[in-house]
Amino acid sequence: MYNRHTHVMPYFPAGSFFRGPVCENVRFRLYQRQCRRRGTTPYCQKGDPMTPKQKILIADDSEMNRAILSEMLGEEYEIIEVEDGAAAVAALQKYGAELSLLLLDIVMPKMDGFQVLEIMQERRWIDDVPVVMISSESASSHVERAYDLGATDFISRPFDARVVHRRVVNTILLYSKQKKLIDLVMEQIYEKEKQSSLMVDILSHIVEFRNGESGLHVLHIRTLTELLLKHLVQMTDRYPLTPADITLISTASALHDIGKISIPGEILNKPGRLTDEEFAIMKTHSAVGAAILEELPFHQNEPLVQTAYEICRWHHERYDGRGYPDGLKGDEIPLSAQIVAMADVYDALTSERVYKKAIPHKEALQMIIGGQCGTFNPLLLQCLQEVSDQIRKPEDGHNGLSQYEVRKATEELLRREELTASDRTLQLLEHERMKYSFFAAMSGEIQFEFTLSPPMITLSSWGAGHLGMPETIMNPLQDQALLSILGEETIRGLVANIQATTPDQPIIQYDCEAHLSGELRWVRFICRATWSPDEPPQCTGAIGKAVDIHEERKKLNHLEREAAHDALTGLLNHKYAKMQIKDMLKARTDCHFALAVLDLDRFKSVNDTYGHMFGDEVLVYSSGRLKHSVRGNDIVARIGGDEFLIFIEYQQNLEVIVDRIFSALICTYKNFPISVSMGVARTEAVGRDYNALFKAADQALYTAKRTGSGKYCFYIDTMQPGETMVSQIENMKDPVKDTEEKEEETT
Amino acid sequence: MSLTECYIALGGSYEEVLSRLSSERLVNKFVLKFLTDPSYDLLVRSMESKDWPEAFRAAHTIKGVCQNLSFTTLYQSSNQLAEALRNGYTPEAPALFDQVCADYERTAGAIRAYQAESEV
Repeated sequence: MYNRHTHVMPYFPAGSFFRGPVCENVRFRLYQRQCRRRGTTPYCQKGDPMTPKQKILIADDSEMNRAILSEMLGEEYEIIEVEDGAAAVAALQKYGAELSLLLLDIVMPKMDGFQVLEIMQERRWIDDVPVVMISSESASSHVERAYDLGATDFISRPFDARVVHRRVVNTILLYSKQKKLIDLVMEQIYEKEKQSSLMVDILSHIVEFRNGESGLHVLHIRTLTELLLKHLVQMTDRYPLTPADITLISTASALHDIGKISIPGEILNKPGRLTDEEFAIMKTHSAVGAAILEELPFHQNEPLVQTAYEICRWHHERYDGRGYPDGLKGDEIPLSAQIVAMADVYDALTSERVYKKAIPHKEALQMIIGGQCGTFNPLLLQCLQEVSDQIRKPEDGHNGLSQYEVRKATEELLRREELTASDRTLQLLEHERMKYSFFAAMSGEIQFEFTLSPPMITLSSWGAGHLGMPETIMNPLQDQALLSILGEETIRGLVANIQATTPDQPIIQYDCEAHLSGELRWVRFICRATWSPDEPPQCTGAIGKAVDIHEERKKLNHLEREAAHDALTGLLNHKYAKMQIKDMLKARTDCHFALAVLDLDRFKSVNDTYGHMFGDEVLVYSSGRLKHSVRGNDIVARIGGDEFLIFIEYQQNLEVIVDRIFSALICTYKNFPISVSMGVARTEAVGRDYNALFKAADQALYTAKRTGSGKYCFYIDTMQPGETMVSQIENMKDPVKDTEEKEEETT
Repeated sequence: MSLTECYIALGGSYEEVLSRLSSERLVNKFVLKFLTDPSYDLLVRSMESKDWPEAFRAAHTIKGVCQNLSFTTLYQSSNQLAEALRNGYTPEAPALFDQVCADYERTAGAIRAYQAESEV
């Protein structure tokens, strides 16, 4: 039927609809389809150097076995080999649906074939990647378990090369066919519909062309018919119509007036009113149209032809039996014809004709409902009213309808896009992956992905290269290479931190030391925990990066040190000494401590006589002696100009220790005799409060000074309070600090 | 020494392997490659260190390779050893291991002899 008409449209050479005006996209689709019919895939044709081969993953711990399989398949497929189950999982994660097949051994180290299958099932990879098990474990329980876990095929050793080859090819073909079957069918249906519609449109356009009509009439009728039918099935179940029925009726509606081809042009296009005679001739078009279809030499049983017949013959029948040609009544008139009749009338009213002007939407609606164009099925009238807003044409343009067309076209487009989503998505994914690995390599950071089940770390390739580790690390807590870098405690701490996140606040920062290229360096982990969408959500692992922060950390430590120490002597300053002493007093409650305050005798006169430079030299020299005279854990600080503080732990014989320190400080520097005075307070006598200790030591120093320079004195509680030696400036304390200290004392 | 003779010497079936792999070139290639397969060394080391799971896997791998290459004699002994080690150590294992060693030496010896002659 269609081919007979191809000659009328000379820009469609016979036998090929898709040359000429049809868009590139359709032609490409056709090419894809042809490829699929031939059993090849459009992107991966054999022997085409431009397209990559399909990938097969071989997981077997024996290199020999892998080599034999590679040898059998390597010519046609790209082979990726892995030697244990864990590596297989990593490869599956990396390549995903790019893999056409997995050849899987059962007995393997780290993770056996069954565990791999379990993970594939859990993550639904098994839907995309078929698995053929190859094993010498031929026990039926093994075979059964493999099938239960979703393996497609099971090949026992020793295998026959041809059998392996054939089964691999078959499985890949079967799977790729299955994958493409749905969109193939969808696409074919779509193409077929499109072709039918195209022909129907051409045919009805011929009629309209002769009729002098715009050509939009057919389009309007079809759209309106579809709209009415879709709404009707929502209103009532009196007419059980499937979406396919609706499409069929809408398509066939375009043929409603083909009988007009037999009506003489002067009647069809007569501007004025038709005479009774002319009208009688005009009325024959419905029966003639039906007869044309009835006399088709073939396609008689096509639903499209049968529906078109109903519509052609009866679209001028009316519900009250007063239509033509057969005077059918009520639901004797097929629904298809009833609907098209109403759509026909509406569009005739609202469009301009040689014999009439266009009538506005609202008025046309009133005319139809009022019965001025014959009686219609009340249900259909209601339906027309209810869709009225959707078909309203602003000032009788066809914008309303064309908007509907736009929406329909969009839906169609989406549907078509969806058909190729898998290809496009793969390309996009590939692009993203390329971007990711490029940026990962550029960043100089070790990036990783961590899953809790199975416990596995996947490193970025740059990271793996930098650390000299494989990209995949199974059971990180048992991995010696990883443990030697981070240590078990650090890894556990990191995992605990990740698990302690919430889906709302999944990001953590974790600083630790790591053995990197032979030295201990500070590293910062920044991780984002991944949470499953389950209810309640489960922590599944994390993605993250490790950054070397050693240099910054060193700088920070240096700054901290600078802040804590006196620039001239390198001793602690008063503030930090006080902090450390307080910490020690708090932490080690079972120890006795002594705090000593001392100053250099006659230091003012040194500065006055020899100048400040020499004064500084004396201070540095004395500091050095002081530092050497105490033990490593004791604290020595410079607390003012020539005033120093010592904090020491003692068990007994404090006097001996103090005497030793005191004597060590009495010496001569460049002919200048140095001597000191010192006051000592013991926790045993004063208690464990820093301020009290300091005050007591200061009082003892005052007492020592009062009895002449070059002495030391222990604090005893008969000493008079209020007298201090340490300069007032040093003793003036920060009011904020004071408040804090008072609070500490009261708690 | 031909490949057929080599198979007779090591106690295997050349006809069988040829029918399965359907290429003399392939059989030749993999028979020679057998000498460099690390599974046997792994088996010896694992037996010495009493690492039974590893020994099982190694025996199992040897068995699989022998199956593929139709090395019937070594296949049989390695199969028995693998079964004896499947669930850890059993008292039969040491004797079976000795048998595997003897069969391996015989197999490897025959292949070396074949290799030496084919290289000349």
